[in-house]
Amino acid sequence: MSSKTREQEVSWLSETMSGQVDFEQRMLGSSGEIGLQYLRSLTNSDTISRYVIVPGYEMEDVKAFESYISSFPGTIQTGERQQILEYVLKGFAYIRIASRGYLFDAVKVESSGVGEAVNESIVQGPRDALSESIEMNLNLIRRRYQSAALKVDMLTLGKVSHTSVAILYDNDRVDQQVLKEMKKRIADVDIDILQSAGELEKYITPERFRIFPTMVVTERPDRVVFNIAEGKVAVIIDSNGFAIIAPVVFSDFFTAMDDKIQVPLVGWFLKIIRYIGLFLTLTLPALYVTFASYNPEILKVQISLLIAGSRAAVPYPSFMEVFLMLLMMEFLTEASLRLPKAIGPTATTVGGLILGQAATQAGLVSNIMIILVSAVAISNFIIPLSMMGYTIRVIKYGMVLFAITFGLVGIVVSIVGLIMYLSGLRSFGRPYMKMFALDSKVKGGQ
Amino acid sequence: MVSSKYIYYLFLMNALINIINFVPRVLVFTRFHGALPSIFLSTFIGTLLFFGFTYTIKGFKGQGLPEIFNATLPRFFSFLLLILYAFFWFMAGIITMLSFVDITLRFISPDISSYAVILGFLLLTSICCRLSSESILYALETLLFLVTPIIVYMLVKAFINPAFNWDAVMQVVTFMWTRPKYVSLAGATFIFSGYFNLAIFNRNFKQIKTRHFWMIPVVGLMILLVTFLVPVGYHGTIGVEEHVYSWFSTADSIRMELFIIERVLFLFYTTYLTLALVSTVLHWHVGLELFKGAFQSKEGKKPGKKMDWWVLVPFSAATIIIMNFLDQVRLGQLGQWFLNIRFLNELLLMGVMFYAKGRSAKKT
Repeated sequence: MSSKTREQEVSWLSETMSGQVDFEQRMLGSSGEIGLQYLRSLTNSDTISRYVIVPGYEMEDVKAFESYISSFPGTIQTGERQQILEYVLKGFAYIRIASRGYLFDAVKVESSGVGEAVNESIVQGPRDALSESIEMNLNLIRRRYQSAALKVDMLTLGKVSHTSVAILYDNDRVDQQVLKEMKKRIADVDIDILQSAGELEKYITPERFRIFPTMVVTERPDRVVFNIAEGKVAVIIDSNGFAIIAPVVFSDFFTAMDDKIQVPLVGWFLKIIRYIGLFLTLTLPALYVTFASYNPEILKVQISLLIAGSRAAVPYPSFMEVFLMLLMMEFLTEASLRLPKAIGPTATTVGGLILGQAATQAGLVSNIMIILVSAVAISNFIIPLSMMGYTIRVIKYGMVLFAITFGLVGIVVSIVGLIMYLSGLRSFGRPYMKMFALDSKVKGGQ
Repeated sequence: MVSSKYIYYLFLMNALINIINFVPRVLVFTRFHGALPSIFLSTFIGTLLFFGFTYTIKGFKGQGLPEIFNATLPRFFSFLLLILYAFFWFMAGIITMLSFVDITLRFISPDISSYAVILGFLLLTSICCRLSSESILYALETLLFLVTPIIVYMLVKAFINPAFNWDAVMQVVTFMWTRPKYVSLAGATFIFSGYFNLAIFNRNFKQIKTRHFWMIPVVGLMILLVTFLVPVGYHGTIGVEEHVYSWFSTADSIRMELFIIERVLFLFYTTYLTLALVSTVLHWHVGLELFKGAFQSKEGKKPGKKMDWWVLVPFSAATIIIMNFLDQVRLGQLGQWFLNIRFLNELLLMGVMFYAKGRSAKKT
């Protein structure tokens, strides 16, 4: 490269970066034959001054400095404009020595560090959550999965954000078909800004209309590792502490990482509890409508009378009552979720105590309805992964609608329909809901 | 591709659903004229048919009935046969649905419109029977696993009830040595005809293994005996005739003293509604695929997905029309006619299958 093109290179980069307050441009060496360009906000200034600027003056000869710079792991020699721009935007420093350009790794990572898992908290077992930096996440996962078979494929997504995305899998155990499909789908993603794993999950799901998540989004490195060992593919993205795992089956959403730690019997018990919770949260409101308005004779006489007596003061049909209270509960959940910590308890007090107590006394809703709504809410929170929890929250309204139109028949029809729908779903070509899904995996069946 | 165990699920499905499809009614009618011997005889015949069909279709790996017929039979015959069997399997679903509408109106909600109920059923079946065969098998498995424990519980409950009259059962057993009638034989073999679903589902089987085949006659015989004898034990040898859906009346005679639901009927109703819906979906799926198979070209090119609705909508409309025309008595008659003709049909199918097997063996 002649000195003229070198000049062009320099002016090209400074032109592109002109107006950026944090763009630094320095000449080093006694005669200024070393050019240094970087973005201050993205680079670690300590690294730059200690490893680039100081040696730049101490070394007597440019050649020595050049071999010194290129000896750093992570240093890339390049002349390609696109690459230079991309890496400078990542936090590399562009060092130009004689006619050659080097990209020097001085990335400063501002992330929150390894925190504790908050969305999937557990009683015992590892507490680490994935952090906001991809390097640290890889560290967290590699440390737990010390096998040469663990492969990491890095790529960048997002035309503006240039987010690093890593696909992780165990080369010996992974389902090659799934891996191929995953790579293809990720390669097909065409967006400007990618900031969260949930977003990516949305873009790599083929069905546009869907209600059940067909990939797990988790913040726990131990869950990622566990699933990789099962032959699944995990995807982590930079600047977001969540990982995507695929393919999944329905029961994966009802597994907490605790289950492995518990005594087997307790683990089973917890699992069963979750399914009972799922059943209750889905059917209780619908059953209430049926029992109160369609078929009171199904229940024992005493219970039917109890419901009727409790509903005596309520001036509208049972489904109105159900919708009213369910909506109130959704508002309460949403409000306590988004409110600042300081006002949070107020919402609960106002909503839970005053509304619940006063509503029954005023005769707007029956006592039993209040109990039922709290039971529904609590059993909904049992589901360990929040994505499935949200889905179930929505689906129970469908069940209520069926109960309103068809009564008991409607409930059965909707349950059968739901199971049929779930059985028809596929996650990366694998069945989503299937009994003994784990057995067939062990035996190598399909 | 699925494992062989799904054959047993297909069998179990048809075996359990017999209560809805008028099998106990046929048996009860002939209880003094050969019901019991025909149960034993049909266990034998049914197992034979089951084995014969699985044996012949095993030779056509990954092929459904349409592919087999189109390849081995003259075009005209294969078209005719496929339409016939498709029609029959649609009919099976329709009868299950219609009797369930009747049951719903009689036992659960007399004040609900029958159109509303049938509309709900039709909506579910029409949408769900368009799923892939594999998905339907998975759903079948899941639902059977959910439902079977409840059925077992109810059976235990039925047997330990002091009101169960063993003398009445013994009385009927004394009619063991009478000549079996065709009607009861045709009715009793219905519980073994789950194999017919293989006509389509064979496409999804990797390899059919018949290792646990002994279970089919054993379980089949047990289910038949229970189907027939438990209502007799509850309503008496003569009184049992009075009930159209003798099993629902039986379930209504049982009480759960310590549960929030007192009458077993409601538990029974919900479990059997589940089963009935799955069975209808299964039957309609097979019917639909056979129908489409009849219009399949020789190269195996199937008609498009849009064709589904051209089949399902007329059949749904037909269901509503049939429901309009039939009262309870005529529906019962239709059910019995269906059972009678179905048996002949299955014998015919067996013949055709062996012929097809012979043809394809010659070809290769």
